[in-house]
Amino acid sequence: MIKISSLVAGGLALGLTLGAQAATLDDVKKRGVLSCGVSTGLAGFSQKDEKGNWSGLDVDVCRAVAAAVLGDASKVQYKPLTAKERFTALQSGEIDVLSRNTTWTHTRDTSLGLNFAGTVYYDGTGFMVSKKLGVKSAKELDGANACIQAGTSTELAISDYFRENNIKYKPVTFDTSDQTRSGFESGRCDFLTSDQSQLYALRIGLKNPAGAIVLPEVISKEPLGPVVRQGDDQWFNIVKWSLNAMIEGEEQGVTSANAADKAKNGKPGNKRLLGTEGELGKNLGLNADWALQVIKQVGNYSESFERNVGSGSQLKISRGLNALWKDGGILYSPAMR
Amino acid sequence: MANTFKSDPIEFKPAEAKPAPDSTVGIVAWMRGNLFSSIPNAAFTILIMLGLANVIPDIIDWMFISSTWSGANQDACVGDGACWVFVKAWSQQFFYGSYTTDQIWRVNLSLILLFVVIVMSFTLPASYRLKVSVPLFLVLPFLCIAILDGRLVGLEHVNTDFWGGFSLNVLMAAAAIIVAFPFSFLWALGRRSDMPLARSISVVFIEFFRGVPVLALFFMGSVMLPLFFAEGTNVDKLVRVWIVLIFFMSGYMAEVFRGGFQAIPSGQYEAADSIGLGYWQKTLLIILPQVIKVSMPNILATFVMLFKNTVFLLIIGIPEVLQTLLTALSNSNWLGGHAIEGYVFVGVIFWLCCFGMSMLASNIEKKLDTSHRN
Repeated sequence: MIKISSLVAGGLALGLTLGAQAATLDDVKKRGVLSCGVSTGLAGFSQKDEKGNWSGLDVDVCRAVAAAVLGDASKVQYKPLTAKERFTALQSGEIDVLSRNTTWTHTRDTSLGLNFAGTVYYDGTGFMVSKKLGVKSAKELDGANACIQAGTSTELAISDYFRENNIKYKPVTFDTSDQTRSGFESGRCDFLTSDQSQLYALRIGLKNPAGAIVLPEVISKEPLGPVVRQGDDQWFNIVKWSLNAMIEGEEQGVTSANAADKAKNGKPGNKRLLGTEGELGKNLGLNADWALQVIKQVGNYSESFERNVGSGSQLKISRGLNALWKDGGILYSPAMR
Repeated sequence: MANTFKSDPIEFKPAEAKPAPDSTVGIVAWMRGNLFSSIPNAAFTILIMLGLANVIPDIIDWMFISSTWSGANQDACVGDGACWVFVKAWSQQFFYGSYTTDQIWRVNLSLILLFVVIVMSFTLPASYRLKVSVPLFLVLPFLCIAILDGRLVGLEHVNTDFWGGFSLNVLMAAAAIIVAFPFSFLWALGRRSDMPLARSISVVFIEFFRGVPVLALFFMGSVMLPLFFAEGTNVDKLVRVWIVLIFFMSGYMAEVFRGGFQAIPSGQYEAADSIGLGYWQKTLLIILPQVIKVSMPNILATFVMLFKNTVFLLIIGIPEVLQTLLTALSNSNWLGGHAIEGYVFVGVIFWLCCFGMSMLASNIEKKLDTSHRN
């Protein structure tokens, strides 16, 4: 019986893990691994491969935080979460940071006890049309049939948009994105509408991806970013500045290949970012080389973007709004000094 | 003796059996009897045949002839047929989830243990079958958890986040039903009890878990339950849904058992009373064995239901086999629309398992059939 009772006790020990919530940084350091909430599978943002490895733009935020805090980007425990349970998982302390294509809205930021630590990707509702249609702008879609996934915020966004512009359209709703795509493919509708980042993923699934184009218009604001619990400002700062380090890295031309060299021989700004000068790391409660580890192991924003959703991936999303402020986008890191 | 008349005794020789008339045997007769016995029947047969002739060649062509079987990624799939490369590449994920590759033997070991215990439970000699297999069954879930988790038995620790795939469906269902078994027995007894408190608690419990849809229960387990725990306490998600499954299952099984109790003739109770057995002796030694026998078909049917219900775990993000399929479909290197291949594959493995369980069930029923019908 001793053996059985020890097994039962073990089962309980397996289930119960205790951790104080106040100082997430100490918890993560003690645990030696960052617990990061991701999606159950979203092309380019958080996706699993056949080997079980996670990759994606959202996943790179987890890896950046792990690199900054633990010095090792691979020390991440990924928790796949559905849209409904993501905030509970964060509130209950099951995860340390939520990086799961979550739109930063006023309601979520103010009423859920959460803080958004920045924007990783500026998304928005867009349109995909068949090339044959010869449409160049959403305004030319008068009287068209729209394939929409039921129950998404997209439905509201396009109904608002078309009413404002006095355009008629006929919605054809589908349950899943797969069905939406095959509806579009079989000609049930003239255009398909969804978040722009998803349109590219849906396009690849078409039999003839080149036959469809994604229109440049984006009709709603969907800034996606990492989320942390409210009330732990130090951890909030760490996540915020880990992301900013990637953006600043791109702006300063620091890449994963040249980061170590720039830390020694770069400009004063490089040295400050990479921790050879100044006390940026200390102010966050991290090692001096926190940003060096982020950029060396994960890469700067541009590297991560191109690898996961841009030209280096199947999705081939252009930078658009997500280019740096000096390249015509709106990506901007506060001053790193 | 000379005039003794000797002749062979007359022997009755039946005439050689004639073969059945041609009109009642053979494929033609069978077809006439079963497929074309009347005009509406014949019409339906022809319609269905035409329909099948339309569909089956396309399905065979899609599945086997123009399908792609070998390759490393979806670029290998050029034909119009199924892209089985997708299923092949993801097969480890589909069966074992992200469980550490060189530790997969532990998952296999757990599955084998489960299989062995099931086989033992109806091949052991009847005299000590119950005494051996009941404790084995009750230890099994915890033993499997210990093996899979690894910390208690001195193996490498594999976090529950890495458990997944079809093996998780099987083990979850098995672990839930085994633990639910004794509970459901107690609920059923409680519901039949004369004690008002025990009876009302049992009724409320059973009706709650039978009345609430399993999806709602999963949501409660995954989303609501963590909010009730003390701050900072984290019960593993898999443990939470395991508990939910156990409750759900014990509610259903309690009703199965109650039916079994009601099927036992009251003479059995009275006989047990008359030889002076106490309540628990009577229940455990006389009634329960008969109840299990009577309820066996329903228990197995309930188990098949629970086993299929485990795919609902996908709505709370547990990487069971269907969730793994959805994850695979959303990988940017596999966005070529392989949903049908994936669903066909998952459907086939579920069908094989459920069909196997039905066969096992009818086998057990025959074995347990000691009724006094003849």
